[in-house]
Amino acid sequence: MSLLKMTDMSLSFGGVLAVQQVSFDVVEGEVFSIIGPNGAGKTTLFNLISRLYDADIGKLCFDDENITRTPAHHIAELGIARTFQNTELFEHETVLHNLLIGKHVYRKTNLLSEFCFTPRVRRQELQFRREAEDVIDLLNLQRYRDQIIGNLPYGVRKMVEVARALCIKPKLLLLDEPSSGLNPEETEDLSFWLEDINEELGVTIIMVEHDMNLVSRSSNRVMALADGKCLAIGSPQEIQSNAEVLRAYLGD
Amino acid sequence: MEVVFQLLLSGISQGCVYGLIALGFVLIYKATEMVNFAQGEIMMLGAFFAFTFISILELNFFLAVAATIVSMAICGALLERVVLRPMIGEPPFSVLMLTIGLGFLLRAIAGAVWGSEPKSLSAPYTGGVFNVSGVIIGYENLVIIAGTALLCSLLFVFFKFSRLGIAMQAASQNQLAAYYVGIPVKRIYSMVWALSAAISAVAGILVAPVSLIDPLMGFIGIKAFAAAIVGGFGSLPGAIVGGLIIGIVEQFASLYLPPGFSDVTAYVILLLMLLIRPEGIFATMQRKKV
Amino acid sequence: MRFIRKTSYGQDIQLFKHRGQVFWYGLLLATVFGLPFFIDSFYVGELSMVFIYAIAGTGLMLLVGYTGLVSLGHAAFLAIGAYTHAYLMTHGWPLLPSIISATLFTSLIGGLVGIPALRMTGIYLAVATLAFAIIIEQVLTHWVSVTGGFRGMPVPLPQLFGVDIHDALSFYFFCLAILIICLLLALNLLRSPTGRAMRAIRDSEISAQSMGIHLAYTKTLAFAISAGFTGLAGCLLAHKIGYLAPDGFTLLISIQLLILVVVGGLGSLHGVIYGAFFIGFLPQAIALMRDYLPTKISQIPGLEPGIFGLILVLFLIYEPLGIYGRWLKIRHYFEEFPLYRKATHQRQKSYLRTERLR
Repeated sequence: MSLLKMTDMSLSFGGVLAVQQVSFDVVEGEVFSIIGPNGAGKTTLFNLISRLYDADIGKLCFDDENITRTPAHHIAELGIARTFQNTELFEHETVLHNLLIGKHVYRKTNLLSEFCFTPRVRRQELQFRREAEDVIDLLNLQRYRDQIIGNLPYGVRKMVEVARALCIKPKLLLLDEPSSGLNPEETEDLSFWLEDINEELGVTIIMVEHDMNLVSRSSNRVMALADGKCLAIGSPQEIQSNAEVLRAYLGD
Repeated sequence: MEVVFQLLLSGISQGCVYGLIALGFVLIYKATEMVNFAQGEIMMLGAFFAFTFISILELNFFLAVAATIVSMAICGALLERVVLRPMIGEPPFSVLMLTIGLGFLLRAIAGAVWGSEPKSLSAPYTGGVFNVSGVIIGYENLVIIAGTALLCSLLFVFFKFSRLGIAMQAASQNQLAAYYVGIPVKRIYSMVWALSAAISAVAGILVAPVSLIDPLMGFIGIKAFAAAIVGGFGSLPGAIVGGLIIGIVEQFASLYLPPGFSDVTAYVILLLMLLIRPEGIFATMQRKKV
Repeated sequence: MRFIRKTSYGQDIQLFKHRGQVFWYGLLLATVFGLPFFIDSFYVGELSMVFIYAIAGTGLMLLVGYTGLVSLGHAAFLAIGAYTHAYLMTHGWPLLPSIISATLFTSLIGGLVGIPALRMTGIYLAVATLAFAIIIEQVLTHWVSVTGGFRGMPVPLPQLFGVDIHDALSFYFFCLAILIICLLLALNLLRSPTGRAMRAIRDSEISAQSMGIHLAYTKTLAFAISAGFTGLAGCLLAHKIGYLAPDGFTLLISIQLLILVVVGGLGSLHGVIYGAFFIGFLPQAIALMRDYLPTKISQIPGLEPGIFGLILVLFLIYEPLGIYGRWLKIRHYFEEFPLYRKATHQRQKSYLRTERLR
């Protein structure tokens, strides 16, 4: 069954059509990749799904619920987590605190009890911590746990961002160019982790990716985008041999 | 009816002063993305320089004006070089605090050099009035309006046609890219500060004959700031328009509303503007991309 | 160098990380409780002023240092707290209910100011709060029936459960107790989800939003909490100065509080205390210095704000992390001695990336 369904969405910025009539649906449990040349509207599409942008027209459904007008901060609660192209971590915090923020949607305490740090708040904090540690173990981030993000290399930051998204325990994970800035070895690791996340945790993944190797290895289906329009959707092999996609990439 | 014209006129001339100071803010903000809270104090310094050249050194008026503008431009460049250069790339809040501190410092320096008792400045045109069917137009007000108009057209030409003006615009849009195409960004910054200080000096000279000069006169910088935001922070014409709006409304408020209101009109307009259209009349800001 | 062996997750959320800290904070507590018996009552009064600054500073630090929202208008919250408290006291309310109501009222106002602030960032917010403070100042001057206008209003003497506490010593302990409570509240807040959400907003609004943090709610809350702390400080300030007049709550006070936060060290509660001592005792230091300077210099109008400004500028250029940051570096130097490397604390050069597109 389809987990996320976008129907005929369009968005323009001051006359420039960034996304035109895009429709697709993502089946629960699959890895869905979005490829396309720079400026094709891939990140815009992500921003539409995570509700940072309002679409001009179109409809967006997640888990049979219409989320076309849901406020952005509700998206995480529904179970959609994302990463950003150039990492948007909380720079002055430790890795651990970054992950704990992913737990924010699960908080059950109110302001007053937090001011007094009641046993309930303490229990909740410990619970959060245990769950964050599970993610740390999964992605092998133990040795960075107490380091400030600002001091970490780019590759690690990318993984911390994935970890933070996982802390939400999402049903759907949006990865915006997870391999950009990673070296081949790190990209290799990434593809294994994607597999783990997808198969062991059962998280559906949509990713924007340029590395065709990674795309064809990890994804079940691929959507090619150019100039805000959907060119084709299909298996990685189909897309790689699609004439229209080749034209968009290589020109006529 | 005469009252309305009278108020309109004095509002416009007061608004021009706000507008000129706001222009200084906006110029620096556009080019360096720094917010200079000491702009009013720079104007105050300009007025004191003019006072020194005219009343103490007894130079010819036009010579004194030129000397003031040049020396303030140098001061502006020096301030940038010594105080603000180390802050390039620091968060905006630090720069804001820095310029607030700078304002305090300039006020104390002015107090030390010129004393705190108010001084008056006489220009050759002081005291003259036109009387147009009941509406009294002081020469000073006329000079303020004419001076502002002249300065604005000069700036327009400068930014539109001169290489330096275009380089300044480039540097304001993307520091790194400007570096790459060979624009000496740091030197440009010094020049932007020089230009902004010179504009403020002009504002100081224009306003000095109608008000008194003292170390606290820089506080109108806050109202000018409100003007800059009303106009749309980052827009040069917006600065002038914002200044005029605040100047005019303030004059009318002082006549038609109970006392106390005219002091806060600028801020009420500002808050209303921020509520209704936070990006100002001439919007230039856009949200951050991810 | 101390290495801490962690054996449970609970250890990371303790207030004291190790025995050494318990010892030092205990010693500090003993000192502040014992000190007033040994020093001149003038300095006891000055110290209670420092505590009041620290309470207000805690409020502003939560806003500026932890949520990343700038306010140039905190003098207004100080004033609202002080006037509300004085008004309630003159109408016969007892001390504690009056303080609590004034604090809650101030945080309500703070929340209301916060609402329009939601759509603004950085400089816009700073200016909006500035405008708010100036308007409040005018209201204080012109709303004569409540505030006494220019002439001001007297503040009734504080009485706690029927005991007078307006002498320097008991007022000192009253302020100290409230400061300690405030610091504990702030510490608790900062180690709970709400505090974490505030820091998340400071570092990246956009990803905070995607992590499920309600920006508008959290920012309004931060404003309300911050205003509440500052209003509480205002209540104490009212008793400290004994007579309220609008000129006690000018822009200068807002800026002094910001100086407190910056010079102490942004983003640390230690910094609040250092900053409070700094702005509390600098005027004394300047007054002392005046006697030794030639009259030409000591008589400069605006000397005190000038020196404040100078120190602020120097700190921002040479030590943007404030006194607390400097202290961390010094401690680090001795811990690592002789292996300290200068580059450890070097600031990274960064290019400005404009957020404007055209």
